Amino acid sequence: MFLLAAKDLRSEARAKEIAPPMVLFGLILVFLFTLNFPPGAGQAPVPGPVVGAVGSRELAGAFLWVSLLFAGILGFGRNASTEREGNRIEGLLLAPVDPAALFAGKALANFCYLWTLEAVLLPVFVLFFGVPAGLLLPGILLVALVANVGLAAAGTLFGAASQYVRARELVMPLLLFPVIIPLVLGAERLTSSLLTGGGLGSQSRWFILMGAFDLAIVAIGAVAFEFIVNE
Amino acid sequence: MSPPTTARRTGTGTGTMVLIALVAVGMVVGIAAIFFWVPTANCLVPGVADGQPCFDARPDYIQHIFYMHVPIAYVAYLAFGVVLVGSLAYLKTGRRRWDLLAHASAEIGVLFTGLCLLTGMLWGRPRWGTFWTWDETLTLTFVLFLIYVGYLLFRGLAADPTRGARIAAVIGIFGFVDVPLVHFSMVWWRTLHPAEVVINPAGPQLPASELITMLFLLVVYTGLYVALMLLRTRLGRAEEALAEAEAALEERPPPRAHVAATP
Repeated sequence: MFLLAAKDLRSEARAKEIAPPMVLFGLILVFLFTLNFPPGAGQAPVPGPVVGAVGSRELAGAFLWVSLLFAGILGFGRNASTEREGNRIEGLLLAPVDPAALFAGKALANFCYLWTLEAVLLPVFVLFFGVPAGLLLPGILLVALVANVGLAAAGTLFGAASQYVRARELVMPLLLFPVIIPLVLGAERLTSSLLTGGGLGSQSRWFILMGAFDLAIVAIGAVAFEFIVNE
Repeated sequence: MSPPTTARRTGTGTGTMVLIALVAVGMVVGIAAIFFWVPTANCLVPGVADGQPCFDARPDYIQHIFYMHVPIAYVAYLAFGVVLVGSLAYLKTGRRRWDLLAHASAEIGVLFTGLCLLTGMLWGRPRWGTFWTWDETLTLTFVLFLIYVGYLLFRGLAADPTRGARIAAVIGIFGFVDVPLVHFSMVWWRTLHPAEVVINPAGPQLPASELITMLFLLVVYTGLYVALMLLRTRLGRAEEALAEAEAALEERPPPRAHVAATP
């Protein structure tokens, strides 16, 4: 499993065809969102508990996750289609490897891509939106860790699934997005809570939900991957 | 090639017709109960007695959509549960009939989830003042709808039918993760969506006439689901028989009439 992930990452280190476009796309998205963001809004005090009013900082959390998700899906799609091109997946299946390990290896590679993406996007996000980094920093890593596990697993599963249909690039987001909405919603709420100074403690239920979701998605992926890739 | 055995039972059977008739009668009785038997203005708000207006002076006729909304939601759960079972069985046995079952049930589940959203909106407009709000239960129900629409879309686009059916089964299993989320969102979060009143740790929180009407409609809607399933799986079998027949036709040499037509 680690060998497989290492194989993916090594070929990526040579070809550099997944991470750089992914990061660049993420940057463009964050930039596009900042265009609609009033200057200095990130530093402004959190608006009072007015019903229906959404503070700019809460929106910033949503922008961050939407950017990460859109950029992430590029990486997932690429990572899955490299195996189909030249039928490399056939070779992997011939090797005496458990399909579950194959799934775990691919998911681990996606997991690493997500961290790379976040390592670049988070500082840029803090700079562009002018949100206080101190509020964000320790907590966001935990949120990202929980979110990344599920995103990488779901991205691997649906990335592989969408290799076998017409209109591949179109189908993958259509399948992937609805399924991972609970995860993204949780990450968004937790990030907003961090940004508005609420901390993570008050939203612990989202952590339980996301953790349960991660478990379900990894377990189903490990068992079901075989049915997707096998002829 | 022997004649396809599936063609034998593609007509609508007597049993199905009887079931459809029963569902139709049940629906009429249920609607009559909703309008004439159940007391109006029990708005399920704690502290408001039966027969009392809910929030304003008008009788609360809007509440009556509850007797439709809840059975519809349960049938949607049931349908997606059947998708889960059918998908698991298909992956295990590889038999086409399980896949047919899952596919049919997903279609009906999408229909009922749509109806559930629609009846919810019709209630939400007068009660919440808006058709839609981003409350957890509503969001997750909408997500459920999207997941299974994606499932149906995938079935339509799959290049290789066998592999497509297998992958669709994985999606069907996966999508079901969202069903408990929808249900428990009503319990975990104190959202705008009214809490669960039927399956409640303290017993059903409804007066007898309302509970009976609700349970009766639950049975009627389950009957409707079964009837639709029978029709849809029959249609699925017919579609498959047609595809088989077309494939067999293509394999045959061109008919001789073609030769005779040339001078």
